[in-house]
Amino acid sequence: MKLDRRGVLKALTAIPVVGALIAVLSPFFRFLKPNDKPWGIFTITPDLPQGGAQVVGKVSQLAKPWDSFYFTYVQRFVQYTPEGQEASNVPGVAIRLPKKVRFVNSEGYVGFDGETDIVLFSRICPHLGCIYNYVSDWHEVSAGYGGFRPPGFEQHALMACPCHFSIYDPEYPDNPGNVISGPAPRGARYFRFEIHGDDIVVTGAEVGAIAQCAPGGAASPREA
Amino acid sequence: MEAVLANLREWFQDRKQRLDLWDETQTARQDNPLYILGGLVWLSWMIVIVSGIVLMLWYIPTTTGAYRSIEHITYDIPFGWVVRGLHKYGGDMLITCITLRIYRMYFAGEYKKPGELTWMILFASLVLAMISGVTGYTLEWNQRAFWAAKVILTVPTYYDDIPLIGNLGLGHAIAYIFLGGPALGQGTLTRFYSIHFGISIVLAIVAETFFYRTRRRRLNVSAFAIVLVLVFLAFVSFINLPDLGQWANNNRTPLPVLSDWYFLALYQVVKYMPPLWAGVAPALLIGYGMLVPFLDRTKETLPTRRPFFFVVGLLAVIYWIGFSALIMLNIAVISRDPPYIWGITVVVLFAAFLWELAYRRRQARRGAASAPAPAGASRPAPRPAAS
Ligand code: FES
Repeated sequence: MKLDRRGVLKALTAIPVVGALIAVLSPFFRFLKPNDKPWGIFTITPDLPQGGAQVVGKVSQLAKPWDSFYFTYVQRFVQYTPEGQEASNVPGVAIRLPKKVRFVNSEGYVGFDGETDIVLFSRICPHLGCIYNYVSDWHEVSAGYGGFRPPGFEQHALMACPCHFSIYDPEYPDNPGNVISGPAPRGARYFRFEIHGDDIVVTGAEVGAIAQCAPGGAASPREA
Repeated sequence: MEAVLANLREWFQDRKQRLDLWDETQTARQDNPLYILGGLVWLSWMIVIVSGIVLMLWYIPTTTGAYRSIEHITYDIPFGWVVRGLHKYGGDMLITCITLRIYRMYFAGEYKKPGELTWMILFASLVLAMISGVTGYTLEWNQRAFWAAKVILTVPTYYDDIPLIGNLGLGHAIAYIFLGGPALGQGTLTRFYSIHFGISIVLAIVAETFFYRTRRRRLNVSAFAIVLVLVFLAFVSFINLPDLGQWANNNRTPLPVLSDWYFLALYQVVKYMPPLWAGVAPALLIGYGMLVPFLDRTKETLPTRRPFFFVVGLLAVIYWIGFSALIMLNIAVISRDPPYIWGITVVVLFAAFLWELAYRRRQARRGAASAPAPAGASRPAPRPAAS
């Protein structure tokens, strides 16, 4: 390869041409991702959904340690739909722990101010987005989720994902919901919540995962 | 610069001349059934396209209508089952034939000069066929499809975690583009429908242009073989029509959840790897596949005369079968298995490397013993052996 003057000059003229081409074409990416501002495609600002406060359940549903219930928290994204936004579901699980913990994870997300023995996790697996289950008997985790056997202090209810067998411990010391086995890179995501009387009120959810489609979007009339 | 470009163009022209995608006339060994694979690839592709277009007459691409419409096609519409069966099993046959042909080309060394371009196109078509596969089975909107799509489309979000580059939001943007929205839903189904159809149609136009300009035969296979394939596919559809499974439920991931058969091994690997790796490893695998003609530069085509690349190929086959078996048996102790797998891989590759060295040393010694042979007068590349 010979780099003579002509070659260099040619290469130099190519730069503005390519640059102009990119500049002209880049707004068209918005055809694929219309919720971005004209020059905002591929910028760091994530699409942040709005949730607001929603009552998801009652404290009295969680009378004994390891009692739990599933719920759904609905968020809205700005979208080019007739309503100007699109709803998405974040399935969650509420669990009563045997003892009080600080509900703060190692990413620094604060789920609850002060100590609590009720914890709320997003059931969207932080690995690749399946919905994990709350399994009240850890033997079932060993039997059905790839043969993981928790060490003694973790032989209680666990959360386990059917897809690639990530297993989470809701009571993990100093980082409730941390992953204890499997490929997930982090612990379960949190909901931020408050307790008003008997109501459990979710006010936000940790961002990052891809949510589920809107209610009714994939409605399943023949649930198993 | 100019010279490089001219060289490249010449290389490309030459390889294009010898392109051997479907008719297999360049390596013709008509006595060997492995050498009708090219024709079978084209045949199954056409079966898939035609049956697909017929299915489009009745398919409804909505989250609420898709599942029902396929049920309708299968059970109500006369001969709907055979069209759907041909589409499904034709697709499976397409991927099987491409895979077998890739392995044949690999072990017979057919990717070497002048087969580089043929190999690269074939390899790329495997990737595209697999993409068609994912986008296609998502159209059924059943549990398996829904969760496979969710998992696959979450993988790109990890590109935002690549160290040193920093978070550019690119990964999430890619995910959004394929999801057609912030979440897996109607937008995803529509976009997958478009991709599924688009890949085949665009490629079919390109292929037709190729036939028109080179006057190659499309289907270098006897009429008897064609009928045999069609009857076989229809028969398989009759005795074992693929099960629709359960309607997608966005609140419950089934346990265990499996993917289509050609993704099973990859699926098992994803269990063992950190997710960013799982996103990068397939890309590396594709990169290796595309570049192997330029990595393996000897003229040798016999497997035993290029031990290292032979062992790599063999390992790929064994892992593919092994991982598929593991996932079907639902075995994956993530805390136990990966070190073993890594260990085996490293040891085998190292042994292959030693074998290669020993082989080369022996060759060199033999070469030195048999007098100074003039360079370039080494024996001509042998015909590929039937393996
Ligand atoms: S999605 Fe849950 S472990 Fe992979």
